[in-house]
Amino acid sequence: MTAKTLAVFRKEITDTLRDGRTIFAIFVFPFLLYPAMLTLMSWIESKNDEDAKLLAVRVGIVGEAEVPGLREWIAAVPGATPVALDRAPETLQDAKVDAAFVVPSGVEGAIARGDSVVVELLYKDADNTSSAAAQRVRPILDDIERSLTLSWARANGAKAEASAPIRVSRHDISSKTDKGRFFAALLIPYLLVFMVAAGAMQTAVDATTGEKERSTLETLLSTAASRGELVMGKALAVLATSITGAVTGITGLWLTFNVVARAVPGMEEGSLQIAITPDKAVLLFLTLLPTAVFLSAVLVAIGCFARSMREGQTYASYVYMGSVFLGLGSFGQQAPSMRQFMIPILNTALLQREILTDTVVPLHAVTAIGVTAAIAVLMLVVATRLFSNEAVLFRT
Amino acid sequence: MIQVSGLQKTFHDRKKGDTHAVRGVSFTCKPGQVFGLLGRNGAGKTTTLRMLATILVPTGGTATVAGFDITEKSAEVRRRIGYLSGETKLYDRLTGRELLQYFGALAGMSATGIGARIEALTERFALAELLDVRVGKMSTGMKQRLSIARVVFHDPEVMIFDEPTAGLDVIAARGVLALIVDLKKQGRTIIYSTHIMTEAERICDEVAIIERGEILTHGSLESIRSQAPSRSVEDVFVQVVTGAGGGTNGDR
Repeated sequence: MTAKTLAVFRKEITDTLRDGRTIFAIFVFPFLLYPAMLTLMSWIESKNDEDAKLLAVRVGIVGEAEVPGLREWIAAVPGATPVALDRAPETLQDAKVDAAFVVPSGVEGAIARGDSVVVELLYKDADNTSSAAAQRVRPILDDIERSLTLSWARANGAKAEASAPIRVSRHDISSKTDKGRFFAALLIPYLLVFMVAAGAMQTAVDATTGEKERSTLETLLSTAASRGELVMGKALAVLATSITGAVTGITGLWLTFNVVARAVPGMEEGSLQIAITPDKAVLLFLTLLPTAVFLSAVLVAIGCFARSMREGQTYASYVYMGSVFLGLGSFGQQAPSMRQFMIPILNTALLQREILTDTVVPLHAVTAIGVTAAIAVLMLVVATRLFSNEAVLFRT
Repeated sequence: MIQVSGLQKTFHDRKKGDTHAVRGVSFTCKPGQVFGLLGRNGAGKTTTLRMLATILVPTGGTATVAGFDITEKSAEVRRRIGYLSGETKLYDRLTGRELLQYFGALAGMSATGIGARIEALTERFALAELLDVRVGKMSTGMKQRLSIARVVFHDPEVMIFDEPTAGLDVIAARGVLALIVDLKKQGRTIIYSTHIMTEAERICDEVAIIERGEILTHGSLESIRSQAPSRSVEDVFVQVVTGAGGGTNGDR
């Protein structure tokens, strides 16, 4: 790095640190937004749970006589009122119920013939009341199944008085640490790449298009610094801002789940133990660097090309949306293909997930870092070319 | 020394076609002189000066600044020039001191050299009141004073001023002109563009009238004055420009 590049870097960082919007976005926002979001979400969730418990629901029954005891089972659910229906309702609203069990007629005969019997629970997931009603009466489906199984056994000659006391249940045995690791592997790679893009946007546009809009560009271009030195200084400042943005963002998230969630009464359930060991933190940082350089170079190139701050911010927002889209691509990828490790941003998110879950494939790492680093260098060359092209710099 | 020979600049635009902003301009500007480039808005003054400052690349002709070709040795040229345009602004979030430090570093000066230079220029440019104030909080006159301090900061041989008094009040404009005269006395080579004729009369030794990218007349201030009975540069300017069929022209 030359002394002139360093001078540009220092000037851009000073400029950035005195810009209230950037300071708020990088240093204040992550420590306010995430705790606020968690508090709000926890409050909404606990309020919904309380409301759901108090909610009175009407549950329709079609074919009540086919399953002895069905009405009583429903009536035993707190807040649920069984309502007999003649036939399966076309809409729950028409039948004035929130959910409905539909048992086909002639169950006994069907069982005796060995035909299958389908019992349905009708509800609307898109309707909060209906969804809550279904959630509360869903265990009754097990009771119905046991009752019908008993009928089937009797029809086949078994002398059964009651169904076998077999109950299948599910228990999530994940510890908070396991959950935290899963959550970290899912979200952190995505958050890191989009925070890098978000952190770089303002500084990149301000350092490039801002020079045009503030009419400081000519002065800068007439100095002894070469165009390459100027672009490198600006790109380094953008890189520093973007990485700082990502680090403060992740720190804000960690504080929210590890500290705020535990400290605030009633939010303990929302707490997670997101523990990233120092070696993993270093690896995450190292894998993030090429992507940060790539995004910084892209944003600087775009800033050189844009005619005004508005145009620059519009283009930068496209880059941001693209980053979010590619970052989201890492969700639900159980066995990503080699081709996916050749796509910048997506490859970093996938590689970071492998790091967090201790499943790093060396070839994936080499490909992801190599491809991103190569494209990052290419984008820096493009940015320098654009900054040296008077037709681009002075286009109107 | 600035030597310009047949300098040309054509802007290419797919939609608008070619614009010939500068068409074969030639002149010489010697050390210890202020060379005035007079012309209306859009006559080609700014484009000519931007080429001399190596901000734009000429499409024809040649020019040397301080002995270096502006195309072949642009980096050498930039080391030896100070460029100021009335349109150019400063960085609002930096203080006067930080601004001078920044441009000093871009000129390749050491930290010690920068500190010494700030001290040396403080009295001459009345910088004391500007050094620790952010540019955004300065008045227009203060900013222009700081701009000129920025131009001379790395002690360049050649100074290029493109309408440096644009937007300034009379007092501030006079202050700028006084500083330029002071620089002339120190033996700097100064090229000064303006469309305000009284400014040219006050500080220039030689002038050239430029219209539609061409120099229509060129000579010492006295020889230009002698072209009109009133001995007014403004009258000569009007006479020369209207005689050249000057109507409206493209902004360059």
